[in-house]
Order: sequence, then C-alpha cells, then structure tokens
Amino acid sequence: MSFDRDDLIGSSTRMIVAETGLSRGGRPVGVPEALILRIAEGRDRAAYAQLFSQYAPKLKAFMMGRGLTAIEAEDLAQDALLNVWRKASYFDPSKASATTWIYSIARNLHIDGLRKQKRAQTLPEDLWAPEPEQAPDTHLIGVQDAKTIGVLMQTLSPEQREVVRLSFFEDLSHGDIAQALSIPLGTVKSRLRLALLRLRAAFETRAESKSAKIESKSV
Amino acid sequence: MTAINHHLDEVILLDYHRGRLNAGQSLLVETHLEMCPHCRTSLRLFDAIGASMLEDIVPVDMADDALELALARIERPEEAPEPRVAPELPAYLKGIDLPESVRAAAFKPRYWGAPGVWMAHLDAPKDGRGLTYLMHVKGGMQMPVHDHQGLEMTLVLTGCFSDDRGAYHPGDCVSCDEGDHHSPLIAADDCLCLIAANAPIAPKTLLGKLLQPFARI
Repeated sequence: MSFDRDDLIGSSTRMIVAETGLSRGGRPVGVPEALILRIAEGRDRAAYAQLFSQYAPKLKAFMMGRGLTAIEAEDLAQDALLNVWRKASYFDPSKASATTWIYSIARNLHIDGLRKQKRAQTLPEDLWAPEPEQAPDTHLIGVQDAKTIGVLMQTLSPEQREVVRLSFFEDLSHGDIAQALSIPLGTVKSRLRLALLRLRAAFETRAESKSAKIESKSV
Repeated sequence: MTAINHHLDEVILLDYHRGRLNAGQSLLVETHLEMCPHCRTSLRLFDAIGASMLEDIVPVDMADDALELALARIERPEEAPEPRVAPELPAYLKGIDLPESVRAAAFKPRYWGAPGVWMAHLDAPKDGRGLTYLMHVKGGMQMPVHDHQGLEMTLVLTGCFSDDRGAYHPGDCVSCDEGDHHSPLIAADDCLCLIAANAPIAPKTLLGKLLQPFARI
C-alpha cells in the first residue's frame, strides 16, 4: 500500500512541497482566501499544501477539544481539508472568510460523524445555499472575518465569554457547563442567550454602518 | 408565506450547531432553518464565532506523513457519493405542501390519537424518552389543557393555532418546558405540526388523561 501511495505522489509533488517553502518570502502568499481560489481555478497543489499546513493542526486541536481522540481528530482534519480541495469552487469570499468556511466544513463532518458513524464526505455541494432574494438579515454576516468576531467577543463580560467558549470548545452539555462553573443551569442559558444576542446586535450595527458608508460614497 | 415571528431559542440553535440534539430535534431545527432566514443568519454567526476560536487555538501537530497523505488523497479519483434516495412519501402526506426536510424524513404509518387528530412518529432510533411526531388536527378543534415534563418544540407546517401567548403560522416555532401549560386552539384550517418532545406531555383534564394512552404522546 505504501509504495502505491509513493507512485501516486511522485516526484512532482515533492517539488511542489519544496516550492511552497520557498515561496514564503517571495510572492504574496498566506492569504487563505487567495489559496482557496488558486485551488478552485488551477487545482494548485502548492496552495493546497500551504492551506493544509496552516489549518490541519488547528482543526486537530479544535476537534480534540470537542472530545475526539488524537487519531479521530487527525482523520477529521484530513477529511475536512480533502473537502476543501474538492469543494473549492463553491467557496465565495463575499459570503465567508476562509476560516469560517473551513470551520463550517469541519463542523458538518463532525456532526455527520456523530449522527452516523460512516457517512462522511457526503456534504452538500454548497453548505450555504443561495439565499432567496431580498431575504432580510442575510446580508449581515458572511463577509465578516473571524478576526472581527474575535474583537466583538472582547466586548462580552468575562462570564459571558466563558460560557460561549465552553459551548464551542468543550463537548459539554449546558448542564455540565453549569456544574463546571458551579452556577445554575438557567444562568448558563441566560448568559449564553445574552452573549449571542449581543454578538448578533454588534454584527447588525457593523453591517448597517458599512452599508451606510457605501451609500454615502455613491451619493 | 407570512414572515416568521416565533423563532428557535438561541440555546437550542447552538446545541444544533454543535451536534448535541437527537435526530428528531435536529429535523425540527433543520425544517425551521429551511423556512427562516433570521435563524439561518444566527447559524452563520455561530460559524463565525467558531472560526474566531479556530484562529486563536494552539495547534496540535499532525502526524509526520500527514501532508504527504493529504497530497496523495487529492490525486485519487473521487468516489461518486451514494445517491440519496428519499423515502417514499406516505399516502397520508401526499398533496400537502411540505418543506424539503420533512419530505426527506421517514415517518411511520399514522394512527388516530383522538377524533379529528392523527399522528405519525418519525422513524428514528429511540433516543431516551424523546418523541418526534407529526400531528394533524382538524380545523376548529381545541386541544385539552396539558403541561410539559420536559422541553417540547412544536413547528407549524400548515394551518395555524393559537394559545394564550400568541398565534402560530407556518414556520413558527413554539417551545414549552416543564411547568408551561396551554390549551392550543386550531384555526379554521386543518393544522399540521412537527413536534419534538423530550418527555411525554402531562394532560390536565380528565378527557386529556383518558386520551393520552391512546394518543401515545
């Protein structure tokens, strides 16, 4: 099996891997959105190698936090990136940042795995189906990158931030979270609700001010 | 379709996002999402929150040959995904305007729970005390007063019903929890709902108590 794989990779791939290393100081690389577009347009293996190195170890860490073993998390990171390769042409940077798109692929695979042990890699073509025209709210999120949310997260109270963090990072029920923090379940839920409403409201304000700016420019 | 006024609770939506709901609850959430742009936006927000945490996480090294393996995998021809065959729509649902996610789900044969009321349970593995079923009630009927021993989510698919908290139209979702009690009144048209309950309902009236064993809810 192993020489089988060697045959498949061949020397050209090794050159590509080497080239990726060299290109670090050369042409502008590192923007993950651009890497995905290069995969979509040119089946660019060097771009893929770079994206893989950047995201796979993070996805592995994330999934270990969600309760997977190191081996399961490694497999999931592999599968997620394979889906990035296969579905790159569906990536739309105006809808989501690269990190958000990759995260949503990994999340779908994880949930699919939880639901049915073996049904991975059958994600819908477009995770975010086109919205019906003029649907309210839909313009708000998407373009926002993950860093923006990171900033917004800082506006939450430390208590709110903690329940959000635990909800995303740990495979705990809200009851478990309540126990871990020694607070009532109702408090966990209301903190979570407030935090999410707050993040959403901040999103909406940002989106509004953004579109207001665009409008005033065009006048 | 009229605008949706009653949304899913953010905490439920977040539980869906992180894969903590059972099959029936997930179906209900997915059906509401299909009908509700507001909640779809929340889900995108959750993806963005998750992504922000992914950016900041301390990475864990992959295996030494991980990149080699990844590059080998993209060279392999992609296996055609198994075609998903939607289960045949039961006769009792034919002719009803249903969301795609309900069409794609499998329901057991329906049974009559009471005069003018039929139910059909989701064909899914039993998950604790949870029950998920379609309930079809003839227009103009009033359900017996009952309260709840656990979270129960009701999503209106067709028709309309109301209780003391408001009126619910297609796409609207009402959640009841322990201690909530109500007596829904169905509007003129027949009403079809998808219900995901964590625990059986608790009828308050003698009639309700008499009916419950037969209705199997």
